[in-house]
Amino acid sequence: MTIFNRNDKPADTGTSGAAPAPKPAAQPVAQPQAAAQPLSPPAKTGASMPSVISKALKITGQLESTEDIQIDGEIDGDVRGVGVKIGNNAKVKGTVYGDEVELAGTIDGKIEAKKVILNGTARMSGDVVHQDIKIESGAFIDGHLKPEFGKTASKSASVSTLKPVATTGTSPADKAAEARH
Amino acid sequence: MFALSRRPDARALSAPRGVELPPSYLRSSLRIRGVLEAECELTIGGVVIGRIAALKLVIAPGGHVEGDIVAREVVIAGSLKGRVFAPTVAVEETAHIDGRIFHHTISVARGAHFDGRMPWRPISYFETLDQLPETQP
Repeated sequence: MTIFNRNDKPADTGTSGAAPAPKPAAQPVAQPQAAAQPLSPPAKTGASMPSVISKALKITGQLESTEDIQIDGEIDGDVRGVGVKIGNNAKVKGTVYGDEVELAGTIDGKIEAKKVILNGTARMSGDVVHQDIKIESGAFIDGHLKPEFGKTASKSASVSTLKPVATTGTSPADKAAEARH
Repeated sequence: MFALSRRPDARALSAPRGVELPPSYLRSSLRIRGVLEAECELTIGGVVIGRIAALKLVIAPGGHVEGDIVAREVVIAGSLKGRVFAPTVAVEETAHIDGRIFHHTISVARGAHFDGRMPWRPISYFETLDQLPETQP
C-alpha cells in the first residue's frame, strides 16, 4: 500500500509546503505541453519554414515536397519542390524540379523550373529548362539554357508523380519481420 | 545491400559527442524514398521510405518511416514500420510502431502503440554494427 501511496504523499506535502509545490504540479502540466509542442511546429511553421537538409546529411534517392526545400547536403537523385534552394556547399546529382530554384552550390544533372537563379558560386553541369532566369557573375554553366518551361508538356508539371514507385529497399526484411511477429 | 552506408554508420556511431553538425529537419510535406545518411541530428516530420543512418533520429508526430534505422539515439513520436538499431531509444506516447527495436536502454511512454519486439543488446553490439543483421524468427 505504501508503494501505491508514495506518489500521493509528496504531492500532499508539496502542496502544503512552500518550496517543493511547483515540481509535482509542474510534471502533469509539462507532459501535455511536451506533447503539444512537437505537434505545433509542423502546423505553425510548416507553411513558412522549409525542410532543411543540412550539410551532414546525404540522401540517395528521390525527394518530393509540396513546400520549400533548403539543401545544404548531398543528394544523389531527383528533387521536386516548390521553392528549392541549394546552398553553397551542397551537391545534387539529378534533376531538380520546382517553381523557383536558387542554386549556389553544385548540380550535376538538370534544372526544370519556372524561375531559376544561379548565384555567383553556382556550378551547373547540365541543362536548365526555365521560363525566367537570373545568372550572377561567377556562375559556372556547362549546358544549355532552354526557355521552354511549361511549353513542352513535361514531367515537371506535377510534384506528386513520384509516388507510384514499388517499395524496394528494405522490403524483404520488413515483410519477413512482419510475418514473424 | 547496405554496402553504401557502412562507413557512415560507423562514423555516426563513433563520432565524438562534442562535434555538433547542424541538424536536418524534414517537414511534413516532404517525402523521401531512398537512403539517408546523416552525421547530425535528423528530425523527420514527413515520410521516409528507405534506410536511415543518423547520429540522432527523431520521428516527429505525424512523421512516418518505413525501413531500418541505425543511430546512436532514436526518439519515436510518429509511426515506424521496420527495425531500429540504437543503444538509446525513447518511444513517445504518440508513437505507432510495427517492428523491432534493438536497444540497450529504452523507454516507452504510456499510450504508445507497439507491435513487435524489443530485443536488448550489449553496448558492444552497437559499436560493431557495420552491417545490419538479418533478423531470425
